[in-house]
Amino acid sequence: MPTFKLDDREITFNPGETIIAAARTAGQEIPHYCWHPGLSVAANCRMCLVEIEPAPGQRAMMLDVLDWDATLGDYVPRRKPKLQPSCQIVVTEGMVVRSNSSPHVTEARKSVQEFLLLNHPVDCPICDQAGECKLQDYWMEHGQFGKRMHDEPVHKPKAVEFGPTIVYDAERCVMCTRCIRFMDEVAKDPVLEMRERGNLNEIMVAPGRELTGHYTFMVDHVCPVGALTTKDFRFKSRVWFLKTHDSICQGCATGCNTHLDVDPRENSAYRLRPRENMAVNKFWMCDEGMMTYRATSEGRTVDHLVSGQVVTSDTALKEVQARFGGTPPNEIGILLSSQASLEDNWALLELARTHIGTKHVFFTGAANGYADDILIHADKNSNRNGVKLLAPHAKDLHELIQSVAGGVVTRLIVLANDADDAAVAAKLAGRLDTTIYLSSASNPFVSEGRGIVFPICGWAEASGTYINQHGTAQVAKKALEPRGSARPGWEVISKIAAALGFTTGWTKLKEVRGKLPVTMSTTVAE
Amino acid sequence: MQTLGHTFPKKRTESVSAVPVSRPVKTFATQSYLPEIVKGVGVSMKHFFTNIRDMIRDERPDPVINRFDVGITTIAYPEQRRLYPERFRGVHRLTQRADESVRCVACMCCSTACPAQCIYIEAGEYASGDSRRGYEKYPVKFVIDELRCIFCGYCVEACPCDAIRMDTGMHAVPYDSREQFIYSKDMLLSFTAGDGKQESENTRHEPGDATHPGVDRLHHH
Repeated sequence: MPTFKLDDREITFNPGETIIAAARTAGQEIPHYCWHPGLSVAANCRMCLVEIEPAPGQRAMMLDVLDWDATLGDYVPRRKPKLQPSCQIVVTEGMVVRSNSSPHVTEARKSVQEFLLLNHPVDCPICDQAGECKLQDYWMEHGQFGKRMHDEPVHKPKAVEFGPTIVYDAERCVMCTRCIRFMDEVAKDPVLEMRERGNLNEIMVAPGRELTGHYTFMVDHVCPVGALTTKDFRFKSRVWFLKTHDSICQGCATGCNTHLDVDPRENSAYRLRPRENMAVNKFWMCDEGMMTYRATSEGRTVDHLVSGQVVTSDTALKEVQARFGGTPPNEIGILLSSQASLEDNWALLELARTHIGTKHVFFTGAANGYADDILIHADKNSNRNGVKLLAPHAKDLHELIQSVAGGVVTRLIVLANDADDAAVAAKLAGRLDTTIYLSSASNPFVSEGRGIVFPICGWAEASGTYINQHGTAQVAKKALEPRGSARPGWEVISKIAAALGFTTGWTKLKEVRGKLPVTMSTTVAE
Repeated sequence: MQTLGHTFPKKRTESVSAVPVSRPVKTFATQSYLPEIVKGVGVSMKHFFTNIRDMIRDERPDPVINRFDVGITTIAYPEQRRLYPERFRGVHRLTQRADESVRCVACMCCSTACPAQCIYIEAGEYASGDSRRGYEKYPVKFVIDELRCIFCGYCVEACPCDAIRMDTGMHAVPYDSREQFIYSKDMLLSFTAGDGKQESENTRHEPGDATHPGVDRLHHH
């Protein structure tokens, strides 16, 4: 691989790469606002200026400047190298680039920073970006100057509603145009544009339009400053209260990699952000996916229920013994969930096949929905491929209804995270003698109220593996403590097995995960 | 030769010197008990009437200034109170603007700085049409748990708006139940400074105030 030199460090690069991209791959950040690895190059913020040494035998590009000399009390002529934007210059073999090591570069960064902050309102205390703002970060690194302009700064529109989800503050905006380019290039909906020039310019929505669609939240996440904020997160918390955990979006079969930001003090989630994974979602996520964080607290099942009455875990297990004891194994059916983790599904399948010895394995999942060719998949289940991998011959709900109607299956163990088919649930509940529901969410299966309900952890409360549309197994880590009396699904299944008189042999997540027929790089054939 | 360590004092050999205490002389008058009672009550009555006289004439000696002259170190709290130092950190208050709205912008700097984590804030946005919309947020809820508070004053230091102050001069009052120590926003807003003021010491030109420069995109100076 060809190499170039950045601050006396040899860095390899792919031919055609820009300096800033090659440096980023090598783990060295060159300060920038307008450049984004997933967007086209605008080169308008001038923060990424670097000094490039002339090729051997060539003269350096120099500029004549006047420099203030405090001792003489006058300007003195001086020459300095012409700096170049590292986001736009393509690296060549043997190029010598000076970033942090060049005094001209550090001076330029400080000046750009001062220029960007000239009319900035500095309302960090009420700005949601504070704590993760590039203006703050770079001011600490490259600025730390006082304000020299004592005039009233230019005032621009504030709290402009761009649409149902996004609010814009023109005073905080640094006009990097990342949001414009995102809507243009990734969301394929060129609805944002810039108007006016100089210190009057501002981002605006195309006349007669609102910022709508499936990718509006992303403009907040590409914004390096606090100019664009989502109405959902606006004023809800301060980012320094939040702790970030790696997770996997449960919205559809794409399985976007996410950061789940939670407040550990109150054990609640505040937002989902995209996490970079070039193989799955690159840098992006859709709005519907980012809103799924609400499922961690809303509509949860957190109590053991027997026929609609809240009971203790022991009572529920005794009830399992009473209602399931003595049933012929072949009358017990199990219902796997395309929305539960691989661990939970595996544990239930293991209970059915190895211990109980039944062949009635069914699976459920949410109905198909909206799809596009950017990220959103029609299959709204996060783990359909996981269920396919575990139980390739599992039968669907219609066959379950037939089996129940025909009296083949009289008792059912249901792993139902978000099965939203109320009609099916009602049909089943009327026919079955008894059922066990393992559920994290309150859904028709649970609210039907005739079975024994065990609350299990949702995707944010227990570490779980999910296999996406391309067969990639990904882990959503535990971010929150379980709510109420919820426990991980595989743990509850182990207890139910014990109540039925079986010993499962797993008590820890490690033991379950070790037995899964999948490694993190497993690819399942479509 | 040099010695290391301690040199112990020599054992005291002389006898301990002490002042002999004079014992009360047991006369018939003391032994018969009643005359002494009358004398004692007389002393109490003398102080009682002196105090009543001073109170009526408003001449009671100051317990701080005159305590060495008259030997009084007690005060009749709560009618009488000692002077507090000017920077005494009392119970918090939320300052008000000229229009009596809350000055706090719900930035949560105080709850961030608070080592006892006793401040809970829920932020809200001014309604559309309000001149402060976009410039500021405001606390929908602002709750201080005065039981948890350690009165360190960090919240006051952290506040960028001079919205929270501890200049009320009030103690944390003992209550009957824990709930009473949870001070809500309205309660904190109703407290005044020691001198009765509800405003902040530092006036700012807020958007929406008459004194705000009011320049915007179309109105330059």
